[in-house]
Amino acid sequence: MANDFNLGDFKINMQNSPLKHLKGYAGFIIAALFLMTSIYTVDANQNAVVLRFGKYIGTKGPGLQFKLPFIDTVEKVRVDYQYKQEFGFRTLRPGVKTQYSTRGYENESWMLTGDLKIAEVKWVVQYKIKDAKDYLFNVKNVENTIFDVSEAAVRLMIGDRSFTEVLQAERESVAIEARKYMQQLLDEYKSGVSIQLVQLQGVVPPEPVADSFNEVNRAKQEQETLINEAKQAYNQKIFLVEGQAEKIITEANGYAIERTNEAKGDVALFESILSEYNKAPQITKDRLYIEMMEEVLSNNKNKIIVDKDIENLVPFLNQKLNGAIK
Amino acid sequence: MKNYLSIISVAFVLIIMNSFFIINEKEQAVKTEFGKPVGGPIVDAGLHFKLPLIQTIIKFEKRVLEWDGIANEIPTKDNKYILIDTFARWKISNALEFYKSAKNEMLAQSRLDDIIDGAVRDEISNRTMGEIVRSTDRKMEIYISDSEGENSEAYDNEELNATGARIDIINSILSKVDDKLLELNMGIEIVDVQIKRVSYNKQVQTKLFNRMVSEQNMIAEKYRAQGQGKKQEILGKQIQKEKEIVSGAYLKSQEIKGKADAEATEIYANTYSKSPEFYNYLKTLETYKKTLDPSTFFILSTDNKYLKFLEN
Repeated sequence: MANDFNLGDFKINMQNSPLKHLKGYAGFIIAALFLMTSIYTVDANQNAVVLRFGKYIGTKGPGLQFKLPFIDTVEKVRVDYQYKQEFGFRTLRPGVKTQYSTRGYENESWMLTGDLKIAEVKWVVQYKIKDAKDYLFNVKNVENTIFDVSEAAVRLMIGDRSFTEVLQAERESVAIEARKYMQQLLDEYKSGVSIQLVQLQGVVPPEPVADSFNEVNRAKQEQETLINEAKQAYNQKIFLVEGQAEKIITEANGYAIERTNEAKGDVALFESILSEYNKAPQITKDRLYIEMMEEVLSNNKNKIIVDKDIENLVPFLNQKLNGAIK
Repeated sequence: MKNYLSIISVAFVLIIMNSFFIINEKEQAVKTEFGKPVGGPIVDAGLHFKLPLIQTIIKFEKRVLEWDGIANEIPTKDNKYILIDTFARWKISNALEFYKSAKNEMLAQSRLDDIIDGAVRDEISNRTMGEIVRSTDRKMEIYISDSEGENSEAYDNEELNATGARIDIINSILSKVDDKLLELNMGIEIVDVQIKRVSYNKQVQTKLFNRMVSEQNMIAEKYRAQGQGKKQEILGKQIQKEKEIVSGAYLKSQEIKGKADAEATEIYANTYSKSPEFYNYLKTLETYKKTLDPSTFFILSTDNKYLKFLEN
């Protein structure tokens, strides 16, 4: 009878059972089971929250840890991990060339600015679990809560700034203040979460108006191009004109030199002739006269030399002259 | 005989097990006897005792719970229809009262729908658009493309200078909900109410986009016109500068030439004045050479000074 195990209506005869051979090891097996359920490991970035009969008794750090078997339960939480939430877009496939999906998140990303326009804002939130116990026991579905709080916070900050400010100067302060506001709410809920970063990824005009904003940028470019072209034409023309002015002045200088040199030359010639003249006035005068006559007459075919005593020359001359003119 | 004993012992173990229950840190509970609650709510986590078989334990959440409303279109005080999307966080503050009045989370959520939506509606319809969107009275920097004013309906100055009241609105909604819940004594405590989204409906949104587009087009045109204007201005400057340079050079060249002419005249005068009579003679001879060209018809008499030697 001692070899029989009673288990309710089931009776196991140990003598006939194959378990018979294990009987000697039973104590050992039980001890092994006991040990296995009382040892657990906590990974490097984890904390383990230990509950005894459901009641919190402590938080254990990374390493090999012990607990009471069956009575203690353990919940592990990744405390040193950067969790991330995305708003207005979702990462489809992270990698070297990360792919994003941005369509269909207008509800998240379109928001009213303080001057009642609509801006498209995409942002990410990074957070850590700062207290594993608070994280587990104070708020149900902490992730949803962070998401809601983040939307409220960013919209609150965007709503207090004008469209222009949101797109340009105030981006940084929106992120900083949204982070502050989120942390304040999450601390009120005792969520055990620490917001590490709120970062605005893109603040742009919404897609239906984006084209008109690009148009403004294009117009700005065109304006600059027009001005640059005009300036270029100005410079080209002015350089050319300056060259021309230089030319006019140089020519005048040339004229001046020529004029004075000619004068000096003329004068030098006159002076040399004058000195000869002064030595023998009549002879020089005669010579000059004869030289002149020589030059004039040697080039001329129409010469008539008439004796001083001849009369009635005119009719003859008329005939001669007519012939010469024909 | 042994069999009965073992059955009894198993039943005994089951009964012992049935008289203990565990409440963990996320939970709280109410003890009931045939559906009727007995004792206060059980809030502390740990091992608890109950009468086996007779008493039943109903567990509830102890943590902060979600509530997310649907977007409601509400008219503001200044008669603009906007969609308000709120969320709230609440918790079961008294499991016993909660069990009595709400029974479960689902029913509680629908009660909260009524209470929160009502409070939001009351508050929003008493506030202007500017007060709802903005949260402070800080001066915003606004780029207005045309200062000559373009005043479209949703874009007047009153709104731009509105003092924001978003935080006040949230707090007011929260205290209203809080009061209502206290009054109803449902064992529910509101932790927070936040306005998540404020948005226009599709129709108004389209109108707004159209306005934004036309405003941008206006700015673009302004840039283009300014560019053209600037170009003409530069062209004008160019012509001015051009004339300035050319006329300056002309002035200078005339001065140079004049000076040279004067100098030359002086040189001539200085020398020729030494013998004006000879200069006159010489110059006249020179002009003969030039003026008596090959086509001249000479009739020379032999008593000419030059030909006097022919007459013999």
